[in-house]
Amino acid sequence: MLDAIKTYLGAGVTPGEAGSQFWATIYILAITLGVSLAVIAMNWLERKILAHMQIRLGPMRVGPHGLLQPFADALKLLIKEDIIPANADKLVFWSAPVVVTMTAFTTFLVVPFGRTHAVTDMNIGVLFMLGISSLGVLGIIMAGWSSNSHYPLMGSLRSSAQMVSYEVAMGLAIVCAVLMTSLNTSGTGTLSMIGIVEAQQAQGVWFIFKFFPLGLIAFVVFAIAMVAETNRAPFDLPEAESELVAGFHTEYSGFRWSLFFLAEYSAMLAVSSIAVTLWLGGWLRPFPNWLSGPAWDLAFSLVPGLSFLVMAAGCFLGTIRMPRLLRAQGIGLAVFGALLALVGLPMLLPGVRERVQDIFWFVAKVAFFMYLYIWYRGTFPRYRFDQLMKVGWKVLLPIGLGVLILTAVVGMRQELLAAVVGGAR
Amino acid sequence: MSLSPILRKVFLVDLVKGLSVTFHNQSEKERITEQYPLERPVVCERYRGQPRLNVDPDTGESLCIVCNLCALACPEQLIVVKGERNPVTKRKQVVSWTYDISRCMFCGLCEEACSTDALELTQDFEMALYSRDGMVLDQAALEQGQQPVRYAK
Repeated sequence: MLDAIKTYLGAGVTPGEAGSQFWATIYILAITLGVSLAVIAMNWLERKILAHMQIRLGPMRVGPHGLLQPFADALKLLIKEDIIPANADKLVFWSAPVVVTMTAFTTFLVVPFGRTHAVTDMNIGVLFMLGISSLGVLGIIMAGWSSNSHYPLMGSLRSSAQMVSYEVAMGLAIVCAVLMTSLNTSGTGTLSMIGIVEAQQAQGVWFIFKFFPLGLIAFVVFAIAMVAETNRAPFDLPEAESELVAGFHTEYSGFRWSLFFLAEYSAMLAVSSIAVTLWLGGWLRPFPNWLSGPAWDLAFSLVPGLSFLVMAAGCFLGTIRMPRLLRAQGIGLAVFGALLALVGLPMLLPGVRERVQDIFWFVAKVAFFMYLYIWYRGTFPRYRFDQLMKVGWKVLLPIGLGVLILTAVVGMRQELLAAVVGGAR
Repeated sequence: MSLSPILRKVFLVDLVKGLSVTFHNQSEKERITEQYPLERPVVCERYRGQPRLNVDPDTGESLCIVCNLCALACPEQLIVVKGERNPVTKRKQVVSWTYDISRCMFCGLCEEACSTDALELTQDFEMALYSRDGMVLDQAALEQGQQPVRYAK
């Protein structure tokens, strides 16, 4: 048993490549757990960061600095009455949150958290992710339709219109990145998520910096379209509180509502990981060219463990600064810090840090996108629906098309130059 | 800004400006929330809250001379002062003093009218009660003033 684990871990392949259903199950369970934990963390972080941006404190009372607030909320949602409206289409109403959650979690099948840390290396990975994540809109329309109420229907119709118009710009931006993967000796690109990151490694540049500023523009188009795609502020028209109560999930309560919440946040994580994979070099560490060499490799491989230790130190500092009256909360914070340190310390070990560092860099980049989501929400007012359509069709679509053509031209020019000069690259 | 409007749009200048504002708001110095039961707010000096009858700190005697000016000044007529002359000292002494805070609008006219600074509206503000029973304050309650509960949890 132990030998089997060792040989598998030593082989350096994904479960899909190894053809091992056992390891695939393990990976799927780990990813489901990880994503759920990330959603819980996101719940707390969003409330805290949003509060700080609005000069408030955010949750402070449940646990030290409100750390247990997400768990309290989850408990509240679980024991809440589960209402199905009298005239609702019960079967569709029941299945809508299931569809939304399942699509949101299925996308993580192809997300490469590292060279070996993906469930499988699908050769149509990007296409698969896009297809599955746009299937989520079906669940939203099902929810809006089956509620048999005006606001949810309006919300879901808005959502579908928004998804359809931004899918186009998003697709064009993605084609740009896929086009860049074909700039190699064989001239064939790839749609595999792992393949795209390996292409960036081979070309020695993240695609955001490729053909500056073309890669950057394609990335910005994607970054805007991705916010609209996940129905987040400033494009949160489907769930605009001031207009539609809560949009498509107005009639949902309790556990069903929390499934929508889970799906929304995991969809955010999923599209962020597409962006990270396509433009920000996936699991590759930053500054691969500028700070190269074994010394820097070692330094960067220590970063994951050290960052956990820094977070633990922050917790201990918070314990010291906690008012004397709140001793129990101070102790709680210290325990949390100790847990973080316990997670961080093994990451410094030589065997572990090689395997963990690619996951860490991937998660750190996704976390940056998550922060951006919160930051946008704290800053920008909501777009009007016609403005939203204008941005989608009149701005992002032409820019996406232009960048796609320019990328093709610039890429081909290099090939032509190489042919004229007489030497293959 | 000297940038032309089109350049501002292309480089999303206004959006970045807004983002920088919210980013800087995250600093701990900017935060204005006070955690009320834990840290007590600083109340303005001229805030008119819970009434108090002052006593002479040296002798412990009430400063009230039962002149009835506060009761006359009160627009709600919620102050009722009864006193009788002390045959020994020849001064009027309080027999009963009631102040009905359930009807009080904290105008402060009684405080203005008081000739000996006996009646004072203090800065204490925690006056919520579960029933109306405790709202008519007698002399003892007024002299004691408010005893805020220390929050410790």
